[in-house]
Amino acid sequence: MKVADIFGGALGILIGAFAIWEGTKMPVDVVMKIGPSFFPNILGGLLIVFSAILIINALRGRSKGKVEPYRLSDKGTQRGLITLAAGIVFCIVLDPLGFIPTSIIFLTFMMWVMGKRSPLLIVVTPALITLAVWLVFEKVLSLSMPAGVLADYL
Amino acid sequence: MEFNWSLMLASYGTVFTPGVLFIICVGVTAGIIIGSLPGLTATMGVALLVPLTFGRPPLESLSMLLGIYCGAMYGGSISAILIRTPGTPAAAATVLEGYPMARRGEAGRAMSMALFASFFGGIVGALIMTFASPIVSAFALEFGPVEYFALAIFGLSVIVSISGRSLIKGMMAAFFGLLISSIGFDPISGFPRFTFGLMEMMEGPPFIPTLIGLFAVSEVFNEVQKTGQIQQIKATLNQYLPSWADIKYCFKHLCRSSVIGTFIGAIPGAGGDIAAFISYGQAKRTSKHPERFGHGEIEGLASSESANNACSGGAMIPLLSLGVPGDAVTAVLLGAFIIQGLQPGPMLYKEHIDIVYQIFASMMLAQFVMLFIGMAGIRLFAKVILVDRAILTPAIFVLSMVGAFAMRSNVFDVYTTLAFGILGYVMMRYDYPLSPILLALILGPMAEANLRRAMVISAGDPSILFSRPIAVVLMALAVVSLALSIKGQKKIEARLTEMEKELEEAVKE
Repeated sequence: MKVADIFGGALGILIGAFAIWEGTKMPVDVVMKIGPSFFPNILGGLLIVFSAILIINALRGRSKGKVEPYRLSDKGTQRGLITLAAGIVFCIVLDPLGFIPTSIIFLTFMMWVMGKRSPLLIVVTPALITLAVWLVFEKVLSLSMPAGVLADYL
Repeated sequence: MEFNWSLMLASYGTVFTPGVLFIICVGVTAGIIIGSLPGLTATMGVALLVPLTFGRPPLESLSMLLGIYCGAMYGGSISAILIRTPGTPAAAATVLEGYPMARRGEAGRAMSMALFASFFGGIVGALIMTFASPIVSAFALEFGPVEYFALAIFGLSVIVSISGRSLIKGMMAAFFGLLISSIGFDPISGFPRFTFGLMEMMEGPPFIPTLIGLFAVSEVFNEVQKTGQIQQIKATLNQYLPSWADIKYCFKHLCRSSVIGTFIGAIPGAGGDIAAFISYGQAKRTSKHPERFGHGEIEGLASSESANNACSGGAMIPLLSLGVPGDAVTAVLLGAFIIQGLQPGPMLYKEHIDIVYQIFASMMLAQFVMLFIGMAGIRLFAKVILVDRAILTPAIFVLSMVGAFAMRSNVFDVYTTLAFGILGYVMMRYDYPLSPILLALILGPMAEANLRRAMVISAGDPSILFSRPIAVVLMALAVVSLALSIKGQKKIEARLTEMEKELEEAVKE
């Protein structure tokens, strides 16, 4: 956890510093003395203080808890990274491709990643889940989903 | 404010119609299922299902969400008893007694007591909520900006002091959350802050997508990395209600824990998990047989379950009367209120008193619905917890994205959800608590707007913050809760490790 804490603390300091730096570009309020930058400045400052304490504690060997390091050879880590990639692709193609195809492909792929191999299962289940979600949102609640390539048929 | 009995009766009439009852049933069933699935918490359930209420009338929407809330609090006990994994964090104490009971072959007895205790706690919580919230709100009508500022600070300090093993990380999470909450138009002068020139960021990060990301998508990333089969204990579930002897045996603890649970719920920031552990500890101390605790003592089970359900009623009190959420779930509910065009707080009693009383009524009815659905579906729910994770986890991801998209039909919200999902996952992994961020998103704007309003009133003189007695008391309490948690940090840590060890041992056996 030591390295992770130092890294987390450094990130916190960066975020706090960024907030304060952005604050310098905000207009000053002459009447009330505190303008838009007042609150973010305090928050940024305190975030920096606590991040610094976290780093100091870590350097003094007082980090708490343990965290399993990531190993690329580990199946779980691989699945996590694949999910992350699949999630990003999901967001990118959702609008152009449309909800129904995106969801079916995503679910099939993810079920396969998570170890399902029965062809019937990984073909039928994603279609059923997608259909159910689509029916509820589109038909019952009248909330529109991206139609994408199926725009002419729905 | 006088308690309005005739309005109360009329509200029961409005809620006790087939349409609303059906909605409550749907909510409670969904809640029990969500609560019983490990990894799916009440917070996540409400966040995931809020999108289903877009465009529905307020009473229907809020009844369903309250149903989910109550159902999920009970549902957590099912997996705690049968697969020794708490379905929600609030059911962690239930594992300690429930699982040993199930292993002894008393799964039916444990499950029926968990249901009855949840029902009992829920009723007590809902009753106290019904009678206490109008009083609190009348009191809060006098509140000015200074009091609201102090209240926000108090809520934040509580959530930080109880948010886990590292106070520093809790603080970092809270300040980071507050910074996120300051994105968008500044509340007084309207200057856009930290928007990076994006139109979508002008009103701050969209609340529901942020929540879904933090609490649901993060869990998806967590869940896909796990492996292993769930082993369920062989249970004979032949009992729907606990025996009269059991109820009598636990009655004292049921009453006490329900009241403790309600009050802990009512403290802004403290939620069901804390309520359950404190009541459990209290039951252990006052029991005639403390040595039996940890080996399947029904008293412990009853107190932890009644406390976590009573907590939901308690948490609604500050939400409705002050506009300050009592725990993480009510923070999400606050978002749902706002989507419905209702701003919780003392003004809600002035402007929408009818909906307030209908909420009291539907909260009460939700408890009865929970009791009946819990009894009728006990065997079904015991099977649901074995649902295949390889199907469930990807489906949760899809549902999260759809829910995030649905509110504004905006792809930006989908990216927001994913980004907060990644953030939530990384934070959980490195022990940064997530709840302070959630509370900060709500209390941040409240703290800032009221602080600056106060400054406008005093023309920039900060001494106004100490000019109101209630505000001073609240700020003093904030300091005390932080000081206590710094002082008690070692103790809390020792307790936490001990609890974790007990849990681990229970899992290993």
